[in-house]
Amino acid sequence: MKIKQSLVGVGLGIAALLLSACGGNSNPLGEASSSQPAQSGSASAAGAPVVVGSADFTESKILAEIYSQAMKAKGVDSSTKLGIGSREIYIKALQDGSISAVPEYTGNLLLNFDANATATTAEEVEKSLPAVLPPGLKLLKSSPAVDQDVYVVTKDFSAKNGITSLEDLKKIASTSSLGGPPELEKRAYGPPGLEKIYGAKFKEFRPYAKYPPKISDLDANKIQVATFFTTDAVISEKGYVQLKDPQSMILPQNVIPLVRSDVADNANAVAALDAVQAALTTDDLVQLDKKVDSEHQDPAQVAGEWLKSKGLA
Amino acid sequence: MNLFAYLSDPANWQGPDGIWNLLLQHLGYTVAAVGIAAVIAIPLGIFIGHTGRGSFLLIGLSNAARAIPTLGLLVLVVLLLGTGTGPIIGVLAILALPPILTATAAGVRGADHEAVHAARAIGMSARQVVSKVEWPLALPLVISGLRSSTLQVVATATVAAYSSGEGLGRLLITGNATRNYSEMFAGAFMVAVLAIVLDLLLGGLGWLASRHASPGRRVRPVGRMISEPTGTPLNLVG
Amino acid sequence: MNLDWAWIQRELPMIGSLLVEHIVLAVLPVLIALIVSLPLGFLVSKMRRATNIVLAFLGVIYSIPSLALFVMMPLILGTKILNPANIVVALAIYSVALLVRSVVDGLRSVSPAVKQSASAVGYGWGRRLLRIELPLAMPVIFAGLRVVTVSNIALVSVAVLVGSGALGKLFDLGFSSFFYTPIIVALILMLALSLIFDALILLIQRGTLPWLRKQPA
Repeated sequence: MKIKQSLVGVGLGIAALLLSACGGNSNPLGEASSSQPAQSGSASAAGAPVVVGSADFTESKILAEIYSQAMKAKGVDSSTKLGIGSREIYIKALQDGSISAVPEYTGNLLLNFDANATATTAEEVEKSLPAVLPPGLKLLKSSPAVDQDVYVVTKDFSAKNGITSLEDLKKIASTSSLGGPPELEKRAYGPPGLEKIYGAKFKEFRPYAKYPPKISDLDANKIQVATFFTTDAVISEKGYVQLKDPQSMILPQNVIPLVRSDVADNANAVAALDAVQAALTTDDLVQLDKKVDSEHQDPAQVAGEWLKSKGLA
Repeated sequence: MNLFAYLSDPANWQGPDGIWNLLLQHLGYTVAAVGIAAVIAIPLGIFIGHTGRGSFLLIGLSNAARAIPTLGLLVLVVLLLGTGTGPIIGVLAILALPPILTATAAGVRGADHEAVHAARAIGMSARQVVSKVEWPLALPLVISGLRSSTLQVVATATVAAYSSGEGLGRLLITGNATRNYSEMFAGAFMVAVLAIVLDLLLGGLGWLASRHASPGRRVRPVGRMISEPTGTPLNLVG
Repeated sequence: MNLDWAWIQRELPMIGSLLVEHIVLAVLPVLIALIVSLPLGFLVSKMRRATNIVLAFLGVIYSIPSLALFVMMPLILGTKILNPANIVVALAIYSVALLVRSVVDGLRSVSPAVKQSASAVGYGWGRRLLRIELPLAMPVIFAGLRVVTVSNIALVSVAVLVGSGALGKLFDLGFSSFFYTPIIVALILMLALSLIFDALILLIQRGTLPWLRKQPA
């Protein structure tokens, strides 16, 4: 009977699918090129290629390009691997050798390795960092250029509810939604910090991997508070109110290169990066971000132009 | 690495981000979109099939619809209209229309001509011909159109999570972002199960309709209309 | 919604390479599927009772959303998720599921009278298959090819959710910052590819099956 035959066929199809799930032990999400074993400090030659990784956001990509092109200009073989993912993921990539350098931010880096850090000023943060780094990783010189995470509300919401600082959030948090990148949910300066330090517990946290839906939802009052970066062009474009942080829940975030030990031993690489760090300003970050985010230029291109303008390439 | 780790942890099933809730969202999108599409497409299809007018629209329509990259459409809609469920269901409904429309029209047009002539001969009005003869005969094909449409929507709703964050596709995206393959697999597995279950349900329904349409005749289970006598496949899957 | 022509000009190399990647990822599975489906479809059509089992089995495979299949491919192939082989194999499986059905239906549509005449005139089963049955089945098979090719072109872009996706990457780029130009460019290119390949297959059909040209549409 044809019905019975069809059912047998369907059964075989489902069985095939279930069986296929039994195969494969290795993790399909593992880095495709993580074949390099973790190199000890003196194992590699001074001229080993430096792979600069970056997180998923624009500024990280621009900085990675700047670092890489600056090193190339000083004769160090270098390439980039942009958009790896959040800190949790690219730190792993750094440790297993698939990348050897990444642009970082002092405050969040400290909190990543020591959630209970008590440092509050930029100097304190930088002093505390070397102690908490895992073995094999080193920090180079920090820069005066700063880019903080910041909580914002729309101008209207701020005026209507009297919200100008994170202290004010507890007034409205229980009936409001917070929007931010998915990894913010568990971070020390995210909802856990808001609750612990400012007594603000939000009704819900909505993860946004991309800016446009977050911006749309904030403007439409579907979420009431959102996080951005201080160098994001959208804050001034939309007139968002940046909430003050009197208790320093968000630590100072100076740009700083995080590298594997062998890169720190490479004199040319270090010289190139130190020069970049000294020349970089917060205003530069704002301008560079705007070129890529608002004018849709290419990160590698704007990085090259900046280096040329500073005489570093 | 345990593939079923994410699925087997009961904590992952609860709460607003839990698998259960995402499944319900996904199902909700599907039912809403196919429902809206059916309400529009079935009457339109009956009209086109019964009167023969407008049939030139149909061939071009299914070919064109197949070519639309659904991700691009969804991204465009969210950028233009925001992240509400309304626009998303709208897009899903539009994509769900063609299979139902073409299947209904084909079913009504292809209804056994002897039966239709006989009905006219004994004096049935046009409405009676449609409702008592053409519709029951067309029902198996209509259901097969609903079946194609449902699969299309389940597939597209998976992709919709990219722009709206809802539905089972979210497990795929978050799993990819956090390098958690078990979570990705959970999403893929649940979506596949949902698709297969809905497909079998509608297939069974179609079989029942076939029996009703031609009692006494040996019934072939109606497939998903992959090829018609004219050789124009109607299948649409995302 | 203005198109940023300057961006298009700047990024022409990138767009070009994504376009080529997209064509390969979409068309290669169709070629593979055709080679597999012709003999497989022939075998299936001869099986009588088992035909329905096989077709129902393929139906289950075909009902799985493409994204789910892309994600599960690494399990079957043992590859990493970024490997393009995942997409090619997944789409090939899809294409086979549909084309086998086309081949079966096509072969079944050849009237027994024709087959008997051929045998009567002295054709062996092999020659009859190649010179009579297959050519008569081709319209249905060609229709299947057109469906599969156009579907694949759209489906490749879905893979951007797992880090791949060729032209689909332009959707991701546009969605990151309210930037419409890459999205429009990708949509237009994909629709153009669909039209071109659909027409191409139709041309090949007209070219290889001349006796059909005189038939009413």
